[in-house]
Amino acid sequence: MENLSEFEANQKDLIHILHKIQAEYGYIPSQALSSISKHLKISESEIFGVLTFYKAFSLKPRGKHLVTICTGTACHVRGAPMILDELKRQLSIEPGETTEDDLFTLETVNCVGACALGPIVISDGDYHGQMNTREVNKLIKKIKKEIKE
Amino acid sequence: MIIFIDGKKFGIESKKTILEAARENEIYIPSLCDHSRLSPFSGCRLCIVEIKGRRGYVPSCSTYVEEGMDVKTDSPRLRKMRKQILELILSEHPNACLICSEKENCDEYKSTIRKVGEVTGCVLCPNNGRCELQDVVKALKIDKVRFPSVYRNYEVKKNDPFFDRNYNLCILCGRCVRVCHDLRGSSAVSFVFRGSKAGIGTVFDQTLLEAGCQFCGACVDVCPTGALTERALKYETLPDETRKTICPFCSIGCELKMELKEGRILNSAPSEDGPVNQGQACVKGRFTIKDAVYSSQRILKPMIRKNKELEEVSWEEALDFVAKKLKKYKGKEIGLIASPQVSNEDNFLIHKFAEYVLKTENIDSVVRFSSYAVFQDLAQKNGFELNLNFKIEDISKAKTIFLLGADIVVTHPIIWLEVLRAVNNGAKLIVASSVDFFLNRFSSLWLKMKPGSEYFLLSFLSKVIIDKSKVENLAQIEGFKNLKSSLDELDLSQAIEKTDIEEENIKKAAEILIKETPSVFIFGMELTQLPWGSQNLAGLWNLSLQTQGQLVPLGLETNLRGLFELNRHCSSNTKGFKRIIQDAEEGKVKALYLASPIPYSQKAKFEFLVIQDSFMSENMKKADAVLPAASFAEIEGTFVNVEGRIQKFNKVIEPLGEAKPDWWIISQLAQKMGHNELNYNASSEISKEMIKNIPGFSGISFQKLKKGERLFIQEEKKGKKKFVPIKFFSTSIETSKEYPFLMLVDYNLDYYKNLDLSQEIKAFGIIRNSRWFKINPNDAKKTKLKDGETMEVESSKGKVKGIVKVLESVPRGTIVASFLWNEEETISVARLVSPLSNASHSLVLLPVKIKRGK
Repeated sequence: MENLSEFEANQKDLIHILHKIQAEYGYIPSQALSSISKHLKISESEIFGVLTFYKAFSLKPRGKHLVTICTGTACHVRGAPMILDELKRQLSIEPGETTEDDLFTLETVNCVGACALGPIVISDGDYHGQMNTREVNKLIKKIKKEIKE
Repeated sequence: MIIFIDGKKFGIESKKTILEAARENEIYIPSLCDHSRLSPFSGCRLCIVEIKGRRGYVPSCSTYVEEGMDVKTDSPRLRKMRKQILELILSEHPNACLICSEKENCDEYKSTIRKVGEVTGCVLCPNNGRCELQDVVKALKIDKVRFPSVYRNYEVKKNDPFFDRNYNLCILCGRCVRVCHDLRGSSAVSFVFRGSKAGIGTVFDQTLLEAGCQFCGACVDVCPTGALTERALKYETLPDETRKTICPFCSIGCELKMELKEGRILNSAPSEDGPVNQGQACVKGRFTIKDAVYSSQRILKPMIRKNKELEEVSWEEALDFVAKKLKKYKGKEIGLIASPQVSNEDNFLIHKFAEYVLKTENIDSVVRFSSYAVFQDLAQKNGFELNLNFKIEDISKAKTIFLLGADIVVTHPIIWLEVLRAVNNGAKLIVASSVDFFLNRFSSLWLKMKPGSEYFLLSFLSKVIIDKSKVENLAQIEGFKNLKSSLDELDLSQAIEKTDIEEENIKKAAEILIKETPSVFIFGMELTQLPWGSQNLAGLWNLSLQTQGQLVPLGLETNLRGLFELNRHCSSNTKGFKRIIQDAEEGKVKALYLASPIPYSQKAKFEFLVIQDSFMSENMKKADAVLPAASFAEIEGTFVNVEGRIQKFNKVIEPLGEAKPDWWIISQLAQKMGHNELNYNASSEISKEMIKNIPGFSGISFQKLKKGERLFIQEEKKGKKKFVPIKFFSTSIETSKEYPFLMLVDYNLDYYKNLDLSQEIKAFGIIRNSRWFKINPNDAKKTKLKDGETMEVESSKGKVKGIVKVLESVPRGTIVASFLWNEEETISVARLVSPLSNASHSLVLLPVKIKRGK
């Protein structure tokens, strides 16, 4: 991680730095911890504590595209489990896993605060409300098509 | 401040929490996460109380008292809530035994079942009987847990030295995380993961060793449950008594409490109210004491050489033999070596023995090589007063701390804690070293420098400060003009070239020193152990005068300061053991009385060699008589710590085997040689005589010592101040094609008398090892050396083997070795210089070559 020098050695910037690395690499590589530790003068265990606390950070490489489905109460009663099953079938992975071609990561979340629009699927930061299995099928196909182009 | 607790009126100091106020007045409020040495946390919520006029229930551990506050610590509602909270905690902690109706009858069956791997109830728990959770369950009278119990089923972590971590028993109070972060600065453990998976752990679940743990044991001491338990205690039952004494493993003098069972030491732990250490210790004091005292290397019977073999004999025979032999020699044919690891009383007597009985001037010790000696020499030559006393607690009040020549986290851990406290209070820490110490994580400025170039750095800083600060103040101090003119020839480019420090950093350092006062200058042996050590010290001395800072000289050995004080008054004419060994080589000294380990060469042949020690050594092969001395735990006496504080240590156990106190051996020997004036019955008699005769100890009564009053070595209060001019010369130790590496030596006290702790105690040897040659990963790659392999280091004078330890903290092109005074000749790095007795001064920077050994 050579790019740490752009940050001041201020311990308060830890989460900011983690976000940047997460955005750039799609995950927090383990080597990053020792670089951050040296730069900010925080022990690696403490950094590990912070990054395992927040769901926004991942220690495993994520796919190019992140598909998140809300399984909160409202989305659940509106059919989220069926959509999740469809996603699992389409991508052949379990929630939390990444496809072998490193293109998709599937994750679940317990509420995104837009219950009226449920069930909700978020793909790469775009929120799709009132989803159903057909819509989600379209969504995945669309992303796959974009990749090919 | 007046507050009411449960309707009773109490006068309480402000800045206290309700919990502290209640405890002071013996009112019980249950709590699990609070700890007297740690900041409030309010994690367990058991200490909730009601305050009149306030809504809800507040945690008393983090609520400070206010005037007129009316606190209720007990009510049916509080009781109900506490019970529920505790039941929730217990639902995740094996609790079968806690609520078992048969627990009273269980005692007689539970003696051996602790050996099982999984702890599912108290009787299987190594912490049974010491557990704070048990106490709280008892106090709250829990007899059932209404929630389904969860066993986390984590694997017990047994891969680290000294203690196991069983997070199935953890109640997430966070004490270990806080003590490790706040008090010790290691932060090896942290809260990890979230929600139901939250726990205590290290980065990527590494071992503690990998995560940077110092194994000080502070977390084990604060853990309220059996989650962290000392392995040595696992198979022991509860102690039947506790005794306090002073740790002999470094010059801090931590008070330790030792748990005893049937007269045997079970373990040692820092005493909560220890005057110096305040509940803290280090890996040596916490985990190695018992193994050192009961080491298999202990000498238990007097031995004399008969028919070329050492044979065990009675004390009577051994003493008669030694007395008879010693009588044969004239005073100047006998040499004695005293130890800085035994009590003042023992040393006082051995000096008296030399002077009155043997009538010899040839008595000395490693004090000669200490930074005190270099300092004294500098003071005498330049006409200023030597002040060595300081107060550890003053360090935390400093605004700038400048550290040179010692890795204090290892050598003086308690001083490190004070430095950390200062840093946490906003002080600036400047570290000048070539090795990247662990504590650099906390430094504002690390002056990474060429090894041995300290005095260029210090002198240049002096010069900058003369130019920048008000000259009138400094000019009043004697010697100012001389100093100023001596610094004239030094300029910035030269300072940068000699020290390799970046210009910006030198300037920053000067700026901090001028702006942030008061400052403290802490220096260790590695600063003064160079051939130009006194110039290094002169530079630091000037700097401390200029900034009106406090100089903190760190003596290494337990009672170095005490022995130094004795030396000042007892033996001003002594020859120094360098000379004693040299004289032996020339045949002038014929008999040697070794009361302390020293390395000496095979060339030195003594007709008669007596060893008085607690542990066996290689030197015994050559000894004519071996007298078993008792260890610190078996005697009483006084030590003087690094601050100059005189502390009494106490007898904890009976001497092992036939071992006797050092003073007793000397006293008996003197009587056998016809000197009844050295007849003493107790070490306290010697204390009294010493107090009368040695000026530094004057005004100290034995009664006061017994009571544990704060007593310091007497010093001239207002020392004369004078600047010391700096003499510049080119430092001549350089690597060459043949010897491309520079060997640095780190001085630590990982030995006690003749016992090398890292070799005797395996777990300690994993943490740090006297046989390690530390090397930078790049150099290791180049030379194809791997961790744990044997490595041969060769200088122009000799070679020695050790174990490769690859560490990033070691600068490229250097090898860092450790030097112990007690190492046998075959493994000591002292082999790399000649003569051996010259070792300490020439070892610090030594050009060497390395290769893989067999």
